[in-house]
Amino acid sequence: MENFEFLRNVTIGQYFQGDSIIHRLDPRAKITILLILVVVNSFILSFTGNVLLLSLCIALVLLSGISFRFMLSGIKPALPLIAIFALMQLFFYGDAYPPYGMEAVTYWRWGMMSITNGSIQLVIVTLMRFLEIFFLVSLLTSTTTTTNIAYAIESMLEPFQRLRVPAQEISLIGTIALRFVPIFAEQMEIIMKAQASRGADFGEGGVFQFVKRTRQMVTLIVPLFVDAFRRAEDLILAMDARCYTGGRGRTKIVRFHMARVDYLFIALTAVFGVLIMVFRNNFPV
Amino acid sequence: MSEPIIRVENVSFSYNPLAEKPVFALQDINLEVFSGDYLVIVGHNGSGKSTLAKHFNALLRPTKGDVWVNGMNTKDPKCVLPIRATVGMVFQIPDNQIVATVVEEDVAFGPANLGVPEQELRARVDWALKIVDMDAHRQRAPHLLSSGQKQRVAIAGAMALKPKVLVLDESTSMLDPAGREEVLSAVRTLNKEGTTIVAITHFMHEAVEGNRVIVMEAGRIVAQGSPCEVFSNVETLRALHLDVPQVTELAYELHKRDPSFPADLLTIDEVVQEIEGRLEQKEKGSEHSWARHYTSQ
Repeated sequence: MENFEFLRNVTIGQYFQGDSIIHRLDPRAKITILLILVVVNSFILSFTGNVLLLSLCIALVLLSGISFRFMLSGIKPALPLIAIFALMQLFFYGDAYPPYGMEAVTYWRWGMMSITNGSIQLVIVTLMRFLEIFFLVSLLTSTTTTTNIAYAIESMLEPFQRLRVPAQEISLIGTIALRFVPIFAEQMEIIMKAQASRGADFGEGGVFQFVKRTRQMVTLIVPLFVDAFRRAEDLILAMDARCYTGGRGRTKIVRFHMARVDYLFIALTAVFGVLIMVFRNNFPV
Repeated sequence: MSEPIIRVENVSFSYNPLAEKPVFALQDINLEVFSGDYLVIVGHNGSGKSTLAKHFNALLRPTKGDVWVNGMNTKDPKCVLPIRATVGMVFQIPDNQIVATVVEEDVAFGPANLGVPEQELRARVDWALKIVDMDAHRQRAPHLLSSGQKQRVAIAGAMALKPKVLVLDESTSMLDPAGREEVLSAVRTLNKEGTTIVAITHFMHEAVEGNRVIVMEAGRIVAQGSPCEVFSNVETLRALHLDVPQVTELAYELHKRDPSFPADLLTIDEVVQEIEGRLEQKEKGSEHSWARHYTSQ
C-alpha cells in the first residue's frame, strides 16, 4: 500500500524545520540573496569564479545546519540526465568553447566528435554551476515554508502594483493552490484506493511503458478534476460570503519585518556579487 | 416586539426562473429572525433549507418577494457588502472554505477584504480565535487540524467580520461526534454573548439547541415554534418522515401510556429528572405497603 501514500511524498519545497540563522532570515531577504547569486552564477565561466561561488553556497548550507546528504538526495532522480548532458558537452562542444585562461589543446578528435581542454572545462564548470543553483534553491525551500515564500513573493511584487501587476491576486491564487495541494493529495489517495478495490491495477508497467502508465492515470485524473471543480464552487461561495471583491483595498497582517541581520546578509552578498562580476575576466583560470 | 434583524417576505425562489416550468425551491416563505434568537431550520435534503439560508446574506436573491437584513434589501447591489458583514456564514465542508495556509491569515481574510487597518485586523483575529478556543493553533497549517478544529477556524473566519447573525449551513454534518460537540459549544457561547444564530441541520437532536425551530418540506415552512411545541407534535413529524429526538420520543410514548407524564421533554436530563421524581414519590407513597408485603412473607 506504500505507493498510495502521496501525502508523505509531496516534496514541493520540502521544508526542514530548524532554528539556524538562515531559517530565521526574512524570506524576502532570502529570495533577494538567491536572485543576486543566480545572476552572478549566470555570468561566471571561470574555474576560480565558480570555486568561489560554490564555496559560498556550501558555507550557506553549513550555516543552515541542513545535512548535505538530505540536500544531495534531491539530485538523484536527475543524475541520468546530468550524465547525458555532460557527455554531450564533452564530445560535441570541443570547438565551440575556447577554454578560459588557457591555450586551446585538442586531446582527441574523431569526425564530429572531439575532446579539448575547452570542453573539459565546460563540463566541470557546468556541473559546478548546476550544483550552485541546486544548493541555493533547495536551501531556500528547505529553510522557508511555502507559505512564507508565497508571502515574500507577494510583498516583493507589491511595488509593481502601480504598473497594474495584480500582486494580491497572484499571491491569493498561489496561496489557494498551496492550500489545496495536501487536500488533493489526500483525495487522490482516496480515489486510488477506491479504484484499486474495484480491480484497477496501479503501479503495473515498467518505467518506460509511458502509454500504459498514462492510461492508468486517466481513471484518477478525471474524478480528481470533477472533485476540484466542486471544491472550487464551494470556495467561491465561501469567499463571496466573506466579502471578497477582488484585490483592491485589501489589508493584511504583516508577519515579517526586515531586521538588521537581513540587510547585512543582502549587503554582503551584493558586495561579493559585484566584486566577482567586476573581476570575472581577471581570474587566472 | 423590536424590529427583526432578518425579515423574509413572501419569498419564492427558483434556480431556473426563465424555464417554461420553473421549479421553485422556495415557495412563499415568510419568516422573521430577531436579535438574540437561536433559530434552527430542519428538513430533508432538497427541502429548501440551504437555499433559504443563502438568501440571508445575499448569496441568492429572491425570484419573488424580498429579504430585508437590518433594514437593507438584499436585492440592492450597494447593500451586498454591508449585508455580508452583518450575516456571517459557515458552510458544510470545512476544507472548502478555508482560504489561507495559516490559520490566523484565514481568519483575517474577511475583515482584510473590507480593508480593516492592520492594528484592528490583528485585534479582531485575536478575538475571533479566542471565542472559538483556537488561539493556540494560530500559526498552524489548516490541513493539520482535525475537522472540528477546521470548522471552528471557519467560524472564527466568519466572526472576524463582527456579524450580528451567524448562519451555519449544515456545519456539523461532516464532523465526527467530538468535533460536532466542539462546534456546538462554540456556537452556544456565541449565542450567549449576543450573536443571533441561524443553524441549518438535519440532526433533530441539534434542533433542541435553539429557542425556535422551523421545519421545512418541499420549499415551504410546515411547522414552527419553540422546540417543545414542534417536537410534541410527534405524529406530524412522523408523517413528514422526520425523526424526533430519541428522548422526546420516549417521553411521548410514556405520555401515551400515562397521560400525566409530560410529552414535551427535550433533553435527557429533563426526562431523567421527571422519572426520578416520580420514582421518589412512588417510594414514599408505597413504603408502608412494601413493608407489609415483605413481613407477610
